[in-house]
Amino acid sequence: MMNKRISQIVKIAFWIIVIAFFAWTFANDLFRPIVEEFRTFTNLLIQHITIVLISGLLAIFLSIPLGIFVTREKFRKSEFWIVNIANLGQTIPSLAVLALAMGFLGIGIKAAIVALFIYSLLPILQNTIAGIQSVDENMKDAARGMGLTPAQILWQIELPNAASSIIAGIRTAIVINIGTAALAYLIGGGGLGAWIFTGIRLFDNSFLISGAVPVTLLAILIDYLFRLMQKLLVPKGLRLAEEAQKS
Amino acid sequence: MIEFKNVSKVYNGGVKAIDNVNFKVENGEFVILIGPSGCGKTTLLRMVNQLEDISEGDIILNNTSVKQSNKIEMRRKIGYVIQSNGLFPNMTIEKNVMIVPDLLGWDRKKQQDRFNYLMELIGLHPDEYRKRYPHELSGGQQQRVGVARALAADPPVMLMDEPFGALDPIIRTKLQEEFLQIQKEVNKTILFVSHDIDEAVKMGDKVALLRGGKMMQYDYPSEILHHPANDFVSEFVGQDRVLKSTSLYSVKDLVDEVSLDSYHEADSAQPVNEDTSLRIVISKLLNQEADQLVVEDKQGNKKGKLTLELVEKFLHKEVKETPNR
Amino acid sequence: MQTIIDFFNYFSNNYSQILEYTVEHVQLVGLAIIISILIGVPLGIYLTTNEDLAGTVLQISSIMMTIPSIALFGIMIPILSTIGQGIGFLPALIALVLYSQLPIIRNTYTGINNVDPNIRDAAKGLGMTTMQRLLKVEIPNAMPLIMAGIRTATVLNIGIGAIAAYIGAGGLGSLINQGISRSNNTMVLVGAVVVSILAILVDYLLKYIEKRFTPKGIKN
Repeated sequence: MMNKRISQIVKIAFWIIVIAFFAWTFANDLFRPIVEEFRTFTNLLIQHITIVLISGLLAIFLSIPLGIFVTREKFRKSEFWIVNIANLGQTIPSLAVLALAMGFLGIGIKAAIVALFIYSLLPILQNTIAGIQSVDENMKDAARGMGLTPAQILWQIELPNAASSIIAGIRTAIVINIGTAALAYLIGGGGLGAWIFTGIRLFDNSFLISGAVPVTLLAILIDYLFRLMQKLLVPKGLRLAEEAQKS
Repeated sequence: MIEFKNVSKVYNGGVKAIDNVNFKVENGEFVILIGPSGCGKTTLLRMVNQLEDISEGDIILNNTSVKQSNKIEMRRKIGYVIQSNGLFPNMTIEKNVMIVPDLLGWDRKKQQDRFNYLMELIGLHPDEYRKRYPHELSGGQQQRVGVARALAADPPVMLMDEPFGALDPIIRTKLQEEFLQIQKEVNKTILFVSHDIDEAVKMGDKVALLRGGKMMQYDYPSEILHHPANDFVSEFVGQDRVLKSTSLYSVKDLVDEVSLDSYHEADSAQPVNEDTSLRIVISKLLNQEADQLVVEDKQGNKKGKLTLELVEKFLHKEVKETPNR
Repeated sequence: MQTIIDFFNYFSNNYSQILEYTVEHVQLVGLAIIISILIGVPLGIYLTTNEDLAGTVLQISSIMMTIPSIALFGIMIPILSTIGQGIGFLPALIALVLYSQLPIIRNTYTGINNVDPNIRDAAKGLGMTTMQRLLKVEIPNAMPLIMAGIRTATVLNIGIGAIAAYIGAGGLGSLINQGISRSNNTMVLVGAVVVSILAILVDYLLKYIEKRFTPKGIKN
C-alpha cells in the first residue's frame, strides 16, 4: 500500500514538473519563434525529418540484409568481426562521427546524412544479428528436419522470431538519429538544431526552447510509435512466449 | 524400410562417432535406439534425414539411398519429433501442425480435415486449439502437437529423438501409452531414440543398443533382457532385467505356456484379466493383496488360479528358451 | 596523405592543449559518474523492494534517455539561467548525471532482481539479516551487471560531454567546436579522433574492471 503511494507521488511529481515547465515556457512566451517564423520552423522540421528518414531508411536497407547475410552458416566466421566492429563503432561519440564525416566530405547535408547513416547502421545490424542468433537451435533443427528450405526457415522461422529485436534496433537507431540530426546543423546539415545553437549563441531562451522542445517531442513520439509497432508487428504467439518467460 | 549399411561417421580429427553400423528396420516396425549418452544414437537418427552427413556406408530408405535423395523432398516424407518439441512460437497450433502439408501445397479443405483428424488422434479438441499458440499449452500438450505435426503429411517413416524425455514421469507414461495406441492405428516405420531402458522395453518391437558408436545388440526386447549379447548389454539393462522383462508378457502369454492350477469356487482369490501385464500380476501377488489370483477371459469365464510359483516357472522357461525368430 | 601528416603535425604542436582538454573532459565525466553511482545504485537497490515505484522510475528514466542531449541542454539553459548558471560546467554536469541514471538504475535493479531466488532463500535460511544478504550475496552476484551499467553510462557521457563544449563546459568537444568555426579541418579531425579513442579506451578499461569485479564463482 505504502509502496503504491510512493510510486503515485513520484508519478504526480513528474507530471507537475512537466506541466510547470510548459506553463513557464508559455508564461514567458518562449514558443514565440514558432509562431512568428512558422515558415522557417516547418522548413527546419522538414529538413530534420528528411535527414533522419533518408539516413534511417538507407541504414535499414543495408543492415538488415547484412545481418541476415552474416548469420548464414557459410559466413559464421565473419559474424564475430562484424559484431565486434558494430560494438566498437557504437562507442564512438555521435559528435565525433559527424566531425569525421565533415572532415572527409566537407560541410553540407550530404555529410550529415552519411554520418547519420553510418551511425544508425550499427544498432540495427547488432539487433538483427542478436535477434536471429537468439532463435532456438532446436526450432531450426525441427524445421530443417521437416524439410523446410533455408529460405523458408529464414522467412517463416528466423525473421518472425527476430522481428521484435530488429524493430527495437530500428527504434534505437532512429531515436538516436533524431538527436544526432540536431547536431547536423554544426556541419551545415540544417534541421532544428539551427535554432538550438542560435539560442545558445545569442543567449535567446525562446530560440532554445522552440528548437529543443520540438526535437524532444519528436524523439519521444517516434519512440512511442515504434514501441506500438513492435507490439503490432510481433506475432501474437511470440508475445505470449515472452510473457510466459517473464512470469 | 530403413536399412543401415556399414554406416560410419568420422569427425574431423578422426573421431569415429558411428562405427560400421548395420541393421534393418522393417516396414511398420517400431525400433528403439538406446545407449549411454555420447553413444551416437542421436547422430545415427539424424543421419537418416541427412541432418548429419554419412561419412562411410549408406542408409537405404524405401529402396533409395538417402545420400542420393533430394534432402528437402526426402525430409518432407519423414516425420520428425524432437525432445524440446521445436514448435514454432510465432505460429498457431494449426499452422504448426500443417506446415509440411502447406509446403506440399495441399488445399485448404484437405488441410482442415487432416488437422481435425490428427487432433482427435492425439486427444486434443481441434476447434479449441486451432487458433492457440504453443506457449498457451502445457508441456505434454506441446509434445502431443509435436507428434501430430510429424504425422501431418502421413509420412511412412517417423524419426523421434527422445520425444518424451523432457516430461515429468506421470505425463511421460501417459504419452507413451497414447503413442502406442496411435501407432496401432497409423502403423508407421519408427526409429525412436531413448536413454531409458524401461521405455525401450515397453515401446519397441526391437531394440538397438549402441555404445561408442558401435552396435552392441539389435534384437527383440525379450532377447535383450534374457540373452544379453555381452557384459555391457547386461550391465546396461540392469540386474533386474528379468523383472523388467515381466512387462513384456501378459497373463495370456503365461496361460499359453504353462497350465494354471485348478480353481474351486470356495477359494478366495482376486480376479485378473488376461490382458494384464505380468509385472502387475507379480506386484499384486507380492503385495499380499492375495497369494493367488483367478484368471478370467474377456467373457468373465474363470480359467484357473495363478500363483508366484507359476510365474517363476513361466519366466524360467522363457529365459532358457532359444530365441524364436 | 596530406590529411594524415597535418593530423600528426597538429597533434605534436598542440600536445599540451589537447591534454588539457582531455583532463577537463575526464574530470567532467568522472565527477558526473561518481554522482550518478551515488544516486543510481542505492536507488536501484531500493527499487527491488518496491515494484510499483520501479516501474514508474524506469519509465521516467527511459523517457529521459529518449531526449536528445543537445535538446536537453537547450531546455536546461533557460531554466538554469534563472539562477545564473545557464552556461558552463553545472548544466553539463546535471545533464550527464540525468543520462547516467537509466543504465545504472536499470542494471542495478535487474542485477539484484536476477539473483537466483534459491540463493536468496538459502541466505535467509542461514539466518542472514537483510543487510548481510544484500552486502554478502545480492550485490556481489549483481556486480557484473551493475558494472556494465556504469560502463554504458560512462561511454555515453564521454559522447555527451563532447557536445557539452557548446555550452561552455570545455573538454575535447572544444577542439571540434573551434575547428568548425575556424574551418580548420585538421582540428576537427583531431578532436573527433581523440574523443573516440578516449571512449574506446574507457570502454575497454571498464570491461577489464568488470571482469575483475566478477566473483570467480559466477564467471563463465
